[in-house]
Amino acid sequence: MNVTLTVNGELRSASVPPETTLLVLLREHFMLTGAKTGCDIGDCGACTVIVDGKAVNACLMLAAQADGRTVVTIEGLATREGLHPLQQVFEETGALQCGFCGPGVIMTAKALLDENPSPSTQEIRTALAGNLCRCTGYVKMIDGVHEAAKMLQSTETPALAAPQQR
Amino acid sequence: MAEDLLERAPDVLEKPRAAPVETLRRADEGLRLPAVAPPTTLPLEPPLVPQVGEQTRAVGLRAQRPDSRYHGLGLTRYIDDIALPGMLYAKIKRAGISSARIKRIDVSKAEAMPGVQAVLLGREIPLNLFGTSIVDQPLLVDEIVRHAGDGVAAVAAVTEQIAQAAIDAIEVEYEPLPGVYDPLEALQPDSPKVHGGDTNIYFKKLIRRGDVEKGFAQSYRVYENRYTTPGIEHAPMEPFTSIADWDANGRLTVYASIGRITLARVDLSKTLRIPISRVRVIGTIVGGNFGGKNEIRHEPVLALLSKKAGRPVKGRFTRVEEFIASTIRHPMIMDYKTGVTKEGKILARQIRMVLDGGAYCSFSETTLGKASILAPGPYAIENIHVEGCVVYTNKTTSGSMRGFGAPQVCFAYESQMDEIARDLGIDPIELRMKNFFREGSMSATGQVLHSVKVIESLQNAARKFGWEVRS
Repeated sequence: MNVTLTVNGELRSASVPPETTLLVLLREHFMLTGAKTGCDIGDCGACTVIVDGKAVNACLMLAAQADGRTVVTIEGLATREGLHPLQQVFEETGALQCGFCGPGVIMTAKALLDENPSPSTQEIRTALAGNLCRCTGYVKMIDGVHEAAKMLQSTETPALAAPQQR
Repeated sequence: MAEDLLERAPDVLEKPRAAPVETLRRADEGLRLPAVAPPTTLPLEPPLVPQVGEQTRAVGLRAQRPDSRYHGLGLTRYIDDIALPGMLYAKIKRAGISSARIKRIDVSKAEAMPGVQAVLLGREIPLNLFGTSIVDQPLLVDEIVRHAGDGVAAVAAVTEQIAQAAIDAIEVEYEPLPGVYDPLEALQPDSPKVHGGDTNIYFKKLIRRGDVEKGFAQSYRVYENRYTTPGIEHAPMEPFTSIADWDANGRLTVYASIGRITLARVDLSKTLRIPISRVRVIGTIVGGNFGGKNEIRHEPVLALLSKKAGRPVKGRFTRVEEFIASTIRHPMIMDYKTGVTKEGKILARQIRMVLDGGAYCSFSETTLGKASILAPGPYAIENIHVEGCVVYTNKTTSGSMRGFGAPQVCFAYESQMDEIARDLGIDPIELRMKNFFREGSMSATGQVLHSVKVIESLQNAARKFGWEVRS
């Protein structure tokens, strides 16, 4: 079956078997391997991408369900002009250790900040509840989301504010 | 534009960056991607190695990983992000029964399935055994299943779905055998023996210092407690994954997120009976290890599937396999007997522990050794007796995990310290201070200790978490 969707601002299409998940479509057909296969059953959040503004587990969504929608993956955040504030802050604070959960965490946090520009710690915790990390823990990530929220609101970094639109 | 980024990037360490920025800049300009930050270097002056008693300069600074930019961009290439041309997908059939004899195994339906390129049984593996100290673990079971996660057959197919369907089509007939699931039961003479013979105990450790009986006789009180800890799965975010590529020249390349590449090469060479010079192992960036990716799991199986099919083969554990077919932390049962004076000074400590080793040996020898050495705790005790053993049971294999047994015994001795403090009415910190190792103390194994900072560490910690103001 054919699916056509907008991925990171580009219209992409592929012919895939009906049982293909959005995760397999992104990783194996579009070669966007940023979203990871951690558990493949929606527990760990390593596969998180943003579909029409909402963070979803790409392993639980069929490619067919994403047909006609807009998907943003980790590869769509940074531009030549710069990193997304979340990527920059996570790098600087050492919030990522092995990094396997990182793309999912960053996408979940981005979906949160798009909806709620200044979330409370509890709101960040709730948003990240579906993203598991086994190395570093969550403290630096939560601090990082706060810091990125501040950066996104400051007028000094306009180039970084909406980097996914090329 | 790349220069902009480098100049705008706040210098979190507020130190001059010593990397060749110009070189990186020029290289980056040709790329669409954001510039790679120069690696953070620690100052060489004053020397990085601190003088005695001096604080290292890195403490208190933000730590930045050299690879974190790639992690954040989603560009880090983990093993599962690698695909070779013509690559097949492998699945392993798990026994699903913890103790049994295989009577019959029929792979004909799987072999006939369109898309299935190779099927492998244990008897086709040149040396179907591996292990780090005792070589007791089959890669695919031929006859006796010793735990539910044992593999019995493997399939390589063009897609993961076909491989799974082929696995489901393999018929295995088992004759159930009695099993043993409790480490204390496994010690009994009449318990079923997991590996035959007359005992399930496969390693023992004994450490003695002084005379514990004399110590107990002089004690004001003697405390006896049993502590148990459960098995723990490492559960790394990245499941155990490898790719094997057996080329036409008879050379094997394995891509794997194994932490110990040389050990993997040795094990591959032994199990496949090929010279080690023909085995290349490429370690990929590890998505979490915690000790669980220290040894081979399915690599020789993937290699032989690749040899049979003539194509590269990738195998990825499911999350369930990660729990049942990898290794876990040793569950432990620890009996602590400690004699103290009225003031809380420990005179004697006797420890007996049983480690549940699961179905195979793996890193049990190391774990038992380290647990035994560390079992008395960081306390200067004159009379010590530690007796430990590790036993086979029909459960998931216990192997290496962060600390190799040290966290288990730490839980036990610190729990008992709290119980002693409560009973004697002594402040728990004070009780520890009275007994801690000091400069020049001798450990249970006769090691004379230097640079002992445990007293200062606990004092600092207690001050920082506000111990004096507790309610």
